[in-house]
Amino acid sequence: MIRLLAFLLPVVFMFSCEKIMFAPDQASRNALVNFDYLWNEVDKKYSYFELKNINWNTIKDTYRSKLNENSTDQELFDVLAKMLNELRDDHTNLVSPFNISSYNVALKSKENYRQRTITEYYIPDMWQTSAFSHGFVDNNKIGYVRYESFMSEFTDDELDFVLKRYQNTKGLILDLRQNGGGNLFNIPKILSRFTETKILAAYNITRNGAKHNEFSSRENFYITPYSGEKYLKQVAVLIDRGSYSATTFFSLVTKAFPQFTLIGDTTGGGGGLPNGGQLPNGWTYRFSISQLLDLNGNNFAETGVPPAIVASFDWSDLSKDKILDRAILELQ
Amino acid sequence: MKKLKFVLLGWLLCATQVESFYCQQGSITYQTLTMGYNSSLYRDFATSPLFYRGSGINLQTSWLKYFNHRVRIFEMALFYNSMSADIPASNYLQPSAFATFIQLHFRYLRLWDFNRLSNEKRNIKLGGSVVNTTNIRPNSGLFNNALGVENITNIMATLQITRDISRMTERKINLGIFKPVLKPKKMECRFQLNAGLLNVNSRPGYAFSYADELNGLETEAWILSDYRLSVNGWRFNTELEWIKYLPNGNARSWAYVWDAAHVPGKFEAFQMATHQIRYTLYFNTTKN
Repeated sequence: MIRLLAFLLPVVFMFSCEKIMFAPDQASRNALVNFDYLWNEVDKKYSYFELKNINWNTIKDTYRSKLNENSTDQELFDVLAKMLNELRDDHTNLVSPFNISSYNVALKSKENYRQRTITEYYIPDMWQTSAFSHGFVDNNKIGYVRYESFMSEFTDDELDFVLKRYQNTKGLILDLRQNGGGNLFNIPKILSRFTETKILAAYNITRNGAKHNEFSSRENFYITPYSGEKYLKQVAVLIDRGSYSATTFFSLVTKAFPQFTLIGDTTGGGGGLPNGGQLPNGWTYRFSISQLLDLNGNNFAETGVPPAIVASFDWSDLSKDKILDRAILELQ
Repeated sequence: MKKLKFVLLGWLLCATQVESFYCQQGSITYQTLTMGYNSSLYRDFATSPLFYRGSGINLQTSWLKYFNHRVRIFEMALFYNSMSADIPASNYLQPSAFATFIQLHFRYLRLWDFNRLSNEKRNIKLGGSVVNTTNIRPNSGLFNNALGVENITNIMATLQITRDISRMTERKINLGIFKPVLKPKKMECRFQLNAGLLNVNSRPGYAFSYADELNGLETEAWILSDYRLSVNGWRFNTELEWIKYLPNGNARSWAYVWDAAHVPGKFEAFQMATHQIRYTLYFNTTKN
């Protein structure tokens, strides 16, 4: 029995050893603790303070005074959401179990896409191949491919099939309006079909210091040609303010391709990669930590990539898609 | 510098010769299989100030070689834990957060007898070990920071105390109706303390997630290229093991193991601790 006790006593002692050695638990529901934590994380890592001319200290003064130690979860959420929306960035969200905050850039301007107009008046026999809706327009002279979301996955074979169907056309329309983004891997997966050489397409810089203007050196982003089916004729990409995140990334990268023309409205932005984190009360958040630059060093990936040809949907005549019409005109 | 290299090479050759001499003197080898239950916790300040706690299992195998006055051990282990965050209670709507905590663990250990403090019943060994642990921590709630990965390598000083607690004679226990007779048995109680002397860690860069990790092959950088190597922090590990030897030369043991590390990294710290209850089978693989 003594031997057994001699074995067990050190076990009991060691069972809570790390509690002494680690810093205290920082979990807290105190509204001010959570406010300060989030404000500091954004201050340390957010990537667009200078570009958007945001005075983050002033924002702290404005919003912290609206809280106290006993503020409710609802009050805390409202204040933190408003503070984050000052960043004017849809890659910035606060996620609580009862609500998710977002800036909603697409709602701040006109919508430029109506699916029914295309299926009713342009392509009644629209094909659906995996993530792509596609068909012929302009008497089978031009191909139309709609990619609804970069979240939608597809195989190489499926994309081969779609591109092969339009090999004998004069040009291709790639409709990315209201495409809110998704998986960045799908950007090179699609664009690799439109080049025969490796293209330096964009640069990425990432926040790497406490100062708001401290960034890593430029990291090159390439598009490497796919070895199989390709489409090397003219391509019109349709965009609007609902084209966000990966779609803005895609639109910016097409500027390095001579045969691509952006048509429609400026994209929504979201060129920065968002991170992810958790507050002391368990809620989670994300915000942008990097910047995407075009080959000239321009940073309109966040404010929105402008189209080469501006066009707008006319909601007084639902039988016409004027952005699609403009693309057809461009490719004829 | 050349002189130093020459000395090191000479030392290595001598060590190999001494080792082969001892091998000829005879050694006992074991291979072990271990299954265990873990209770773990970690905290990664780069993504959350909260502790994640949970439990899981570990599987381990090791190769032990006992010479006259020293022992050599190589072990590798896999830990799998389901974790949840220690979130303070909310009276509005309770948040929850879950993660998986996987550890790949390698250790090479060498111990030598410390005769001055050893006697017939007690054996004390001193030595060192190299420990390498890779943590893989998926947590989908953290968006692009969902995958936490770090590597921790430690050169540790090791103290091992083995106490012979063999039952030399038969012993009868009176339990009323039952009066079991305990036969003579060879048993050992072993305590091992490992303390990190050189603690090296590889942790994510300032921003934690980077374009090269998300874009994959279309950048010039390799995945994890933004990781930073640091020499800082501490690691402690204790093991308490009760071994029963079988007449056929094999053995089995129960052990309690505690392992804790604080990894400041270059930017934000990571902390972890694991408590394990292990059951081990020792297979005597000595070639006669």
